[in-house]
Amino acid sequence: MSKCGTKPGVKATGTPIKLGAIATKQPGTDFTDGVNMAQAYFDCVNDNGGINGHPIQYKYYEEQTNPAQIAGFAHKLIQSDKVVGVVGGFSIIECAVDHKYWESLGIYEIDAGIAPECYGTPNSAAPNMGPRYSSDGAVQGVVRAGAKKIAFDQSNVPGTGYIAAGPTSVAKSLNVPIQQFKDNVPIQDANSVALKLVQAAGPDGGVVLNFTPPEALKILQAAQQQGLQDRVKAWGCSTPCNTDFVAKALGTQWDGKLLVNAELNVTDSADPQDTLYRAVFNKYGSKVSGGLGSFSQMGFDMGQFTTQALESIKGNTYDIKTVNTALKNLKGIKTGTLCRPWYYGQAPAHIPNNSDWTTTPNHGKMVIKDGCIPISAADPGIAQVRGIEQKDPGLTSPTTNLPPLAAGS
Amino acid sequence: MPSWEDFKPFIVTGLALGGVYALSGVGMVVLYRATGVLNLAFGAVGAMGALLSWQLINHNGWAEGPAFLFCVLFGGAITLLYGVLFGPPLSSRDPLVKAVATLGLALILLGVMDLVWSDKARSMILPTSNNGFEVSDVFVNYTEVIAMGFAIAVVTFTSAFLRFTKTGTAMRALANDREITATLGVPVRRVEAAAWLGSGLLSGAAGLLLSNLVGLDAATLTFLVISSLAATLIGRLRSITVTFVAALVIGLVDALITPILSISEYRDMTPFVLATVALLVLSGRRGSALTGRAG
Repeated sequence: MSKCGTKPGVKATGTPIKLGAIATKQPGTDFTDGVNMAQAYFDCVNDNGGINGHPIQYKYYEEQTNPAQIAGFAHKLIQSDKVVGVVGGFSIIECAVDHKYWESLGIYEIDAGIAPECYGTPNSAAPNMGPRYSSDGAVQGVVRAGAKKIAFDQSNVPGTGYIAAGPTSVAKSLNVPIQQFKDNVPIQDANSVALKLVQAAGPDGGVVLNFTPPEALKILQAAQQQGLQDRVKAWGCSTPCNTDFVAKALGTQWDGKLLVNAELNVTDSADPQDTLYRAVFNKYGSKVSGGLGSFSQMGFDMGQFTTQALESIKGNTYDIKTVNTALKNLKGIKTGTLCRPWYYGQAPAHIPNNSDWTTTPNHGKMVIKDGCIPISAADPGIAQVRGIEQKDPGLTSPTTNLPPLAAGS
Repeated sequence: MPSWEDFKPFIVTGLALGGVYALSGVGMVVLYRATGVLNLAFGAVGAMGALLSWQLINHNGWAEGPAFLFCVLFGGAITLLYGVLFGPPLSSRDPLVKAVATLGLALILLGVMDLVWSDKARSMILPTSNNGFEVSDVFVNYTEVIAMGFAIAVVTFTSAFLRFTKTGTAMRALANDREITATLGVPVRRVEAAAWLGSGLLSGAAGLLLSNLVGLDAATLTFLVISSLAATLIGRLRSITVTFVAALVIGLVDALITPILSISEYRDMTPFVLATVALLVLSGRRGSALTGRAG
């Protein structure tokens, strides 16, 4: 556990460095695993020397997709809580609501989100790639499996047009027709939805789902109960399906048949970062209700990236300017939880995670089917960041191996 | 427009879903007729029973049979408890007040479920879902058959019970006038308790079937009661047969709209549209649904 900080076993007792975040928690959508895992990592750091002896004090607010509430929390974090950095947040619309505010303050947020602004604005960078690009990857996976037509279905929530544009571009570049669907959630007639998608895809086609795990599970189980699994060439799903909860709930009938685009590595990999992730989870992650999974991995990554930035600050001043400059300067961070080195940097858009895995259920667990595969640059958003990376190769050149080498490690 | 071949499988899914809507609707109508309470917690009780079953099977080592039975009994117990505790004090209040009180129970149960089980993906597959048969190329699993068959059995049994048994007659008398029925020596509270218990058992059974046909998800199962509610309103909270038929029609129309892509995303409106149309037609002839109990 010493790898969380630089002084193993020494509790940090200096003046705290205040960080904050906003996370969605409402019936049907609980994104607090991310912030709770970031908190777990910071607790570990604080127990092992902190940042030059300063503990990280972490405060997050739970929101219910109410823009006024979210904007209020953002102002509260800065004005009342006096945070100097906004990291670890995990929200449906926070990026869209607050990005202008953060830009006006010079805050460089590290967040995991869904809204386009999490990936397409200068002051936001995420360890994940979000539903659009993960859906791109899922479409690629299903086409690799031989699908000649795609039926793409997603929740009928704000932003579906933005998400749908990605798979449309990718399918077009692969000369595969795609039919788009959206269904109201919670889904009440999963049997009919599954039938509709299978009919649309046809025997040579593939079905790709972009839903939260419970909703995707409803459709997959409905397909199973109606004997529809084998009526199409392949089934695909964006990252939310990449949890052992889903693999276990599905049972073995979907082993090897469901292809899940996984933005982060499987949670039981032998990589040192994943080993540390599991150790931190076991010791400090009691509040992470969803267990090991992509959401808590993202929180762990955000905790690590932030700690890396704080440790790079020379001197002993941790204010909005120094902290956010350090966050912005992060580049080339090599971690086994992601396929490529992660970066922030000065750029109009950030999708540092743009190559990932394909996983599939196997006896109640998600296992890797295909290794790191780049998300297609046929999606204009990906093409843009590939251009940014080409202009500044330093962003993706591994310069830092996480965790920071710790005393005694 | 999809072909007839495309529509065929949706008839099966629609009838199965309609069957469970009917089951819920009948439970609500029986309770309303006996107590004047429109039980909006019907779905939440079933959802909690189903989640408890899942918990018992997956974390407490229970066999499926006893766990499923527990779900049904839990529905009966929690509904009976509510009825015994809150039924008498609310008996003289307006039907709207009584309905809102059950909404309170629904929200409390929903909060507890959210707290205990969060929104993580989980499933509880009935053994009957793994087997089935094909009808002209359409696969029908036994859970769907049970849903439909059970709904028919419940409607038949309940209709006979209300018509031919002493307690059933007392329930019908209560539906007409609670005060007069009480003065005739009918043990009102005992009859009402029987109605709460019966309705609760049905909520447990419906929760079990719906957790399989729709998904094991607290919010979904809690609010699925809205579709059943539409059926009960079409039945004017009096007629079990009309409620049954209305529920089947709602399930069928909902399912058959699904493959028609131009209107598919609006299919969740089906219960409300059908209920509104039916109420507009009926209100012109026989008065509004919520006053139907007295009339």
